[in-house]
Amino acid sequence: MATEVLWWIFAAAIVGTSAGVVFSRSVIHSAIFLILSLGGVGAMYVFLTVEFLALVQFLIYGGAVTVLILLALMLTRVDASGKPERVNGTQAPWALIVGGVLGALLVIVALKTTWPGNLSDKPAQIDLNLISQRLFVDFGAPFVIASVLLLVALVGAIILARQEDGD
Amino acid sequence: MTFGDPFFGYSWLDAIIRVVIVVLVMTVFVMYWTYGERKLVARMQMRLGPMRTGPYGLLQAIADSLKLIAKEDIRPAAADRWVFEFAPYLTFIPVLMVLAVLPFAQDWGVRNLSMGLFYVFAVLGLNIVGIMMAGLGSGNKFALLGGVRAAGQMVSYEIPLVMSLLSVAMIAGTLDLDAIAAMQHYRPFILLQPLAFLIFFTAMLSELHRAPFDIPVAESEISGGYFVEYSGIRWSMFQLTEYASMIAWSVFGSVIFLGGWEYPKGGDWGWGWQLTLTLIKSVVWIAAIIWVRTTVPRLRIDQLMAFCWKVLLPLALVQLLMNGFILVYDWPQELLFVTSGLGAALLVGIIIARAIRRPKKTSGLVGTYRQVQGTPV
Repeated sequence: MATEVLWWIFAAAIVGTSAGVVFSRSVIHSAIFLILSLGGVGAMYVFLTVEFLALVQFLIYGGAVTVLILLALMLTRVDASGKPERVNGTQAPWALIVGGVLGALLVIVALKTTWPGNLSDKPAQIDLNLISQRLFVDFGAPFVIASVLLLVALVGAIILARQEDGD
Repeated sequence: MTFGDPFFGYSWLDAIIRVVIVVLVMTVFVMYWTYGERKLVARMQMRLGPMRTGPYGLLQAIADSLKLIAKEDIRPAAADRWVFEFAPYLTFIPVLMVLAVLPFAQDWGVRNLSMGLFYVFAVLGLNIVGIMMAGLGSGNKFALLGGVRAAGQMVSYEIPLVMSLLSVAMIAGTLDLDAIAAMQHYRPFILLQPLAFLIFFTAMLSELHRAPFDIPVAESEISGGYFVEYSGIRWSMFQLTEYASMIAWSVFGSVIFLGGWEYPKGGDWGWGWQLTLTLIKSVVWIAAIIWVRTTVPRLRIDQLMAFCWKVLLPLALVQLLMNGFILVYDWPQELLFVTSGLGAALLVGIIIARAIRRPKKTSGLVGTYRQVQGTPV
């Protein structure tokens, strides 16, 4: 019972903060709303009893990705005081089309899916050892390939950012 | 009696009462620790420290907090109102969340999580959000600079920090903080992983913005950094956060590396001795932080980044790799001590060599120094 109430509170918070990301007129406010929204999604994972995924969500999205967004804003904005941005009107129709199609797709998928009825109230506890077994043994090769991709991105970023004396 | 059993009746009531106890004890401890720090720093600098308020200045902490509460809460006109006002609370919430999983004695914390170690660094990473909000929302250039510095520094130092914790988790084979402490019945993990301990301590200083890594809050450079515009109760929230996270890190670090409530004889002598052990270890840990603060001068930002990416991170990776070999092939545990000890000696050697080396040329240095030299930029 208490879990259900909490679930609805968090669901409302996620929807509210996501609306805040879209509707707030300042990019900085949008970024902060995004952090709150992603944190709420992390809390949802706790309700699904996948604590590992919840913590990964907090660490990667809450602590790293959005911080990088904020850092980029700090480094590029001259005026960081949260005043409303000027809206670029020529992009509005395209944004409407893309947003409308995406929203329609999500609604259609949600309606077409046959959701399982009442599952037993206690989902299976997911063991950390099982996750690591899958990640590092069974699917070791994709994991290593993904890390090579990240390494290439890192090296590329260093080369782009590096200023040679001659430049 | 384990963590799951509600000690105070209902489960939710039990959780709330435990949180209140932990937070109250922590707040009183923080209040008096500010006094303790001033006294300790004063002693190291051959001064007296606070002496006027009460005998030996013992009432100084109370006087300071009263003054801070009564002080006017000013919001600058250029500030972004909501971002500015919520920033101190958002920095404090992660620290509060971390205090909820630390084991202070055997089976006594607020709650024990099976992934406690991972939880601690995942949640403490969220600390940075509030700091960046303070930097962005203040409408002040110094605050913005402080926020940028804090973000770059914390994101960079998180990597060696996590690596050093992972190498301990590899040996323990679990992420459960209570179990990690119980595992150190015969020897604390610092003996097996001295290199990881050194890396953890350094990266922790950086995460806490303590000297020599206090670049984001450097008074002489950017006049206080991200909380330059705050005053009164909100400023004291930032101070409370800083000291509370110092306590959280030191309890956490002593559980991971120094044996927490278990070593020595914690499991045998009961909870009184266990609480004493936790208290002694965390006080020694915080005193070490302050000792470093009074001894080492502040680093420059490029030195800071170079030290993280070129020294700490490779050493942490080597540590992880060596642990992997030793644990997979079941080589004796003493090898862990030998390899990690050699690494620790190497790290200390690098630091000493850097400290005593004279710069060969001055033209490569950055910033104001080059302009003082008069060479064309």
